[in-house]
Amino acid sequence: MKALMLAVLGAVAVMATPALAQDKVQLRLATVFDGPTVELWQPVLDDFMKAHPDIEVKMDTVAGSGAAVYPDVLRTAMASGDPPDVFFMWGGSISGPFIKAGQVRPLDDDYAKYKWGERFPQWIDNRLKIDGKMYGVPLHGQGMGMFYRTDIFKAHNLEVPKTYAEFEQVCSKLKDAGIYCASTGGKFGWHVMRLVDYFTETTCGPDVHDQLNALKVSWDQPCVVAAYQRLRDWIDKGWLVPNFLNVAPDDSRIPVYQGQAAMVLEGPWMEPAIVQAEQDPANFGFFLPPTDHAPDRYSAFPEQWMISAGSKHPDQAAMFIDYIASLDTQKAHPEAFQGSPLIGMKPDCTKTPITCQIVDIVQSDRPAYPPTDQAFVKELMDSFFAVQDGIIAGKLTPADGAKQFQEQVDAWKAKQPA
Amino acid sequence: MTSLSTSAAAAPVRARPRRRRKFRWAMLTPYLFLAPALIIYLGFLVYPMLVSLYTSFFDWDGMSKTMTFIGFGNYINIFFGDEVARQALVNNIVWTLGCLIIPTGIGLLLALALNRGLRGTVVLRTLFYAPAVLPLVAVGLIWGWMYNPNFGAINLILRSIGLGRFAGGWLSGYDTAMPSAFITYVWASIGFPMILYLAGLQSIAKEYYEAARIDGANGLQQFRHVTLPGLGESHVIVLSLAVIGGFKVFDLIYTMTYGGPGRVTQVLGTWMYFQAFQYYHAGYGAALAWLIAVIILVIAIPYIRHMSKD
Repeated sequence: MKALMLAVLGAVAVMATPALAQDKVQLRLATVFDGPTVELWQPVLDDFMKAHPDIEVKMDTVAGSGAAVYPDVLRTAMASGDPPDVFFMWGGSISGPFIKAGQVRPLDDDYAKYKWGERFPQWIDNRLKIDGKMYGVPLHGQGMGMFYRTDIFKAHNLEVPKTYAEFEQVCSKLKDAGIYCASTGGKFGWHVMRLVDYFTETTCGPDVHDQLNALKVSWDQPCVVAAYQRLRDWIDKGWLVPNFLNVAPDDSRIPVYQGQAAMVLEGPWMEPAIVQAEQDPANFGFFLPPTDHAPDRYSAFPEQWMISAGSKHPDQAAMFIDYIASLDTQKAHPEAFQGSPLIGMKPDCTKTPITCQIVDIVQSDRPAYPPTDQAFVKELMDSFFAVQDGIIAGKLTPADGAKQFQEQVDAWKAKQPA
Repeated sequence: MTSLSTSAAAAPVRARPRRRRKFRWAMLTPYLFLAPALIIYLGFLVYPMLVSLYTSFFDWDGMSKTMTFIGFGNYINIFFGDEVARQALVNNIVWTLGCLIIPTGIGLLLALALNRGLRGTVVLRTLFYAPAVLPLVAVGLIWGWMYNPNFGAINLILRSIGLGRFAGGWLSGYDTAMPSAFITYVWASIGFPMILYLAGLQSIAKEYYEAARIDGANGLQQFRHVTLPGLGESHVIVLSLAVIGGFKVFDLIYTMTYGGPGRVTQVLGTWMYFQAFQYYHAGYGAALAWLIAVIILVIAIPYIRHMSKD
């Protein structure tokens, strides 16, 4: 009899276990976090699960791939009907195809419910709005500028430039001293694009630059030719480390570390990279390259959290995003939220002074322009990169480059549905 | 002999009555053994291939629930609307011609050298074959660093031996990127034809060479009339694999040049990847994939059949 009762109890326990597991909502979170970042985030997830014992959050990461592979992984998961509930995404055009395909849940109701709109600088909210709707909640606001070698500047009595003309003078003096002004990596196109974007901002000004990115005005115009000419001049004058067309962006930092080049155009991720490369952080400073325009804008882009349209638990997913987008959570885990644009959230300025400087700029609501690869779809962007490569290699003149890219824009527009 | 033939020809051919074999469960046994492999083959190869063929007739982003049927629109676009696809096709043809001549030729020369029974043959064979076992992605990354204009081994060596004027951006140049990537391919791929040719050489009977020498044939004539015909089967395998490999090339281009600078190193494999996975043109990408498959089949199958008959 005792054995029979034990057997019955065992059977009940076995039958009850899946039921209990099913009661717990399982949220899947897709990210591009690397190993150390995953470690920083695990306590955040643990705290959330402690506060919400009925929800379990599991993080899947596609580390180190950047925008090259992660969107493919995400797309495959969505196409197979098994999307993550919450996923990391860059801003701008990279998220566009997912939204267009109806794979992303609009978050306007959640924005109203949780008052997310009040938590972040306006420029980030504006940048994330697509066709008047909000689809994502900001994770990072990444501002970019010149990381420069303070020791080299000091050794050659150089000051941080206040105008574009001063910037050219700095480059010229560095060249005379046998040091390249800047280093860049042409492989994938987007690293050099940052320089081209800067030149376009200086020659076209904020309004025209925005209209160019929106394809509302022709790229075949004098200010674009002038921007391409500046790129050409920097190469011809020997201000850029030569033969950079196939150099990977990360490898382009090496001449700066070795003191052969004085600066590189990067964002706040550069500061940990400097430490990782065993460089002395005291030898590095940061400035926004001057544009000679008002407003004096800089290049910046948001990164965001989105909820899959196919998520089985959208309410819990929104609750999770609300938790990680709150000041209390981020202050409890400052290392996990480096570069957060949440107003009031600041990194430890004694540990990461440059990141602190960038966060101040990002949260100040100073106007920013988007990197072109977040303004155009990838297909058009690759045409932009092909023209850029042609100018760098001397296969295209700046005028031909501007003309050719506008032809590519026209061809791309003609293919789009009305 | 003649009469035997005549009588044989005159003999009435009587059809043997077909007897229906009685069904036994044991007759199913071989099929049961084949079934798991067949199911996997159908599920993971044939079915996806058919789906991709179906997809190639649609305009589809690979995610949306709706697909727009456009018939042969994607295929027409490859040949008449897409300049990069045509350039990629030309690159593939040039690459394949290179594959047919250079790695196979060097592989044959190495096999001939190693077949002479020199001391250290085993070590040399291992050395030459070693790159062939490396994943091409790893090879691409390693050679990408070697070609780096600032700290790459190739430029450092050139500078250290006084040939610094030849140092440059090997993968950055419009004229040098493709040849530089191809040199990497040659380095990575000579081992396989070498091993196949070496196996072929060792299967040619020594008596043929002795007979040729007695007939007064010199070394070149022995190679022309004994070695080359004796390697017939090896040629079939080596050359057909070279064609297939030439049109399938993807890893090296993706890791070393990413199709650049500009688009001068795009090949059909990378362009298919860009279209399907980066530009969200899944239908067009599928059409490009089928173009690659058809080209390989059209070239390789008749060649293999012809050589096999010989």
